[in-house]
Amino acid sequence: MNRFLAIFERDVRKFVRNPIVVMVSILMPLVYLVIIGNSMQGELKRLPIALVDMDKGPEAIRLTALVRTIESSTGSIRLFETPDESLAMQGVRDGLYKAALVIPPGFSRDISRRSAAQAGLFLDNAETVSSATIQSALAKAFAGFGAETVKIRNERAGLAIEMRPIELYPKFDYDQTLIPGVVIMAIFLGAMMTGAFNLVMDRFLGVDESYLLTPLTKRDIVMGLVASGLIITTIIAVIVLFFSSLISGLRLWELLSPGSAALTLVVIILSTLGLQGMMFIIMGRINHPRIVGVLGGFLNVIFFFTSGAVYPVESFPPWLRSFASVNPESYSVHALRALLFKGAGFSAVGGDIIFLASFSVVTVAVGIMLFKRTL
Amino acid sequence: MPPYAIEINELRKVYPGVVAVDGVSMSIPAGECFGLLGPNGAGKTTLIRILTTLIKPTSGSAAVGGYDVVRESARVREIIGVIPQAMTSDLDLTGFEILDIHARFFGMKKKERAGRIAELLHLVGLQDRAGDLVATYSGGMRRRLEIARGLVHKPSILILDEPTIGLDPQSRHVVWDLLEKFMATDLLTILLTTHYMEEAESLCDKVAIIDYGKIVALDTVDGLKKQIPEKDVVELTVSGYDLQAAASSVRTINNVTSCALTGDTLIVSADNGAEIIPVLVDALKRLGALVRRVTLKEQTLEDVFIHFTGRPIREEEAKKVSFLLGAGVPTKLSR
Repeated sequence: MNRFLAIFERDVRKFVRNPIVVMVSILMPLVYLVIIGNSMQGELKRLPIALVDMDKGPEAIRLTALVRTIESSTGSIRLFETPDESLAMQGVRDGLYKAALVIPPGFSRDISRRSAAQAGLFLDNAETVSSATIQSALAKAFAGFGAETVKIRNERAGLAIEMRPIELYPKFDYDQTLIPGVVIMAIFLGAMMTGAFNLVMDRFLGVDESYLLTPLTKRDIVMGLVASGLIITTIIAVIVLFFSSLISGLRLWELLSPGSAALTLVVIILSTLGLQGMMFIIMGRINHPRIVGVLGGFLNVIFFFTSGAVYPVESFPPWLRSFASVNPESYSVHALRALLFKGAGFSAVGGDIIFLASFSVVTVAVGIMLFKRTL
Repeated sequence: MPPYAIEINELRKVYPGVVAVDGVSMSIPAGECFGLLGPNGAGKTTLIRILTTLIKPTSGSAAVGGYDVVRESARVREIIGVIPQAMTSDLDLTGFEILDIHARFFGMKKKERAGRIAELLHLVGLQDRAGDLVATYSGGMRRRLEIARGLVHKPSILILDEPTIGLDPQSRHVVWDLLEKFMATDLLTILLTTHYMEEAESLCDKVAIIDYGKIVALDTVDGLKKQIPEKDVVELTVSGYDLQAAASSVRTINNVTSCALTGDTLIVSADNGAEIIPVLVDALKRLGALVRRVTLKEQTLEDVFIHFTGRPIREEEAKKVSFLLGAGVPTKLSR
């Protein structure tokens, strides 16, 4: 026990002697919160569209007015009237506009004759997300247009099904819903920079020789490093949780009961332990920090974006869903979301906690097994 | 403690394309200071790393303090103190913390640690700097701290790999003095590797010369010198007498192996040059010759080394660097 604690103390002392690392590991996830919260807002805004009216007839003016209404009401598009079709197309190709809406000559005439009238929409479908948004925004305008022109008698109008969204939980801002992801990112970065990484640095500097030459067992070394990483990372994650709530205006102290606060801490600790163990498996035999740098960026992206922190896991294709189902971060995000926003109890997050606990036990055990006690 | 602190039997370590240790057998009696002398890349560090359980041998066996280095590696680590070649103390810790944490790796109790650490800090002259971060130490101070670290748990066998490499001559002498002090006070067996001849000559009871992974000679320093045909050389510049006659009479003196004459200088080969100088000067005086100048070139371990390995010790060999990984990584492959 004393030997394990000596490794633990050595590691913690070394870490706190680098206060800049401590500060950066708290600041980075918070910056992520601000950047992701402002760059990936749920709905797209201000997508530029070129409008070419070659008809100038009354129907064309009416269509333009309807599109203008969409522009001013949802703000998802911005119209730029362009005199000439080829100029508009060039603008789309150059990336000046996300789409061009062309009202051809004879549009009004066709409508007055009740024959099929067509307006052309040229989409920059290299940007799938924005083109989907434009299509749905313009569809609304076209639907309004059709409803006015073709007056259909609808006898069942009284039975029309109206959808009224009912929100189950208090309303949360988009950047508040990112908090579980930000916390798990803090845990990932912490796990990346402590524990196994210190082993890599010791190896790189040749310092590992000094403790390999002592009676320390594999278990003493790995558990000591895991324990120090666990303490440091848990503290960082709790601080990040606190500050990200402050930044996004989430009143944790009102939302969390003592029970769910305790469960939140358990989830944070188990997520940290699991990731620490995983890092020991992945980095256990690496001896150059540059390899860790390359791996770190890569692993962060795959674990973070498949965790459901920014996009729901349910919408992934099946192969990615099966990866998400073994990604410990998915369970952490799920549990944190339930605890922070829904005030859930153990019954809602028990499965997550069991998965994270088993993941931790397995990864730490395998990490110890794989650790090489010779040079 | 068994009679032999270290026993090595037909030990081999083979890396792809390189035989780092090639059938080494030797025994080091308890209480002796034993030097392993060889050029860079001779296999010294690999041999040390096998003895300190950091590397597993390909074949053969070795026992340290009676424990097998492979089967009983944990027991071996309990009784050895090691000062590795590279500086291995954490820069972010203080001198005291390094010693204290290291002592705890050996399960030493708090009271026992405090006394031992204070004693060692005093011995290595770092008591005033113990609270400073190692990052603020000079190379010599860091080395002294590491020597203290190697001794903090009172090992019975101390193993040092190139303890003074990269140190300035002054720090080197400080380290030698320290080692002599420890040899005098504790009952220690010391195994050290070096490629400094003076280090081996001044510290070691016995020396083995290792080259290309093989032991090519093993004896006391004096014994090794006797094994080679080259002798000490005394040069005497003489006037006032028939030099040919002087040379002939010098040749009759006991222990003189040869005497040649160039110009006005007699070149005398003898087994022990320092002892024969007064005898030579006396004899020439009695003949009536005037000895104007005497120089002595003593046979050194360097001569012994060149004799056994065919090259001077500081000749460097090109190191191999991994094509895939570059220079930063494969320390384990460096012999």
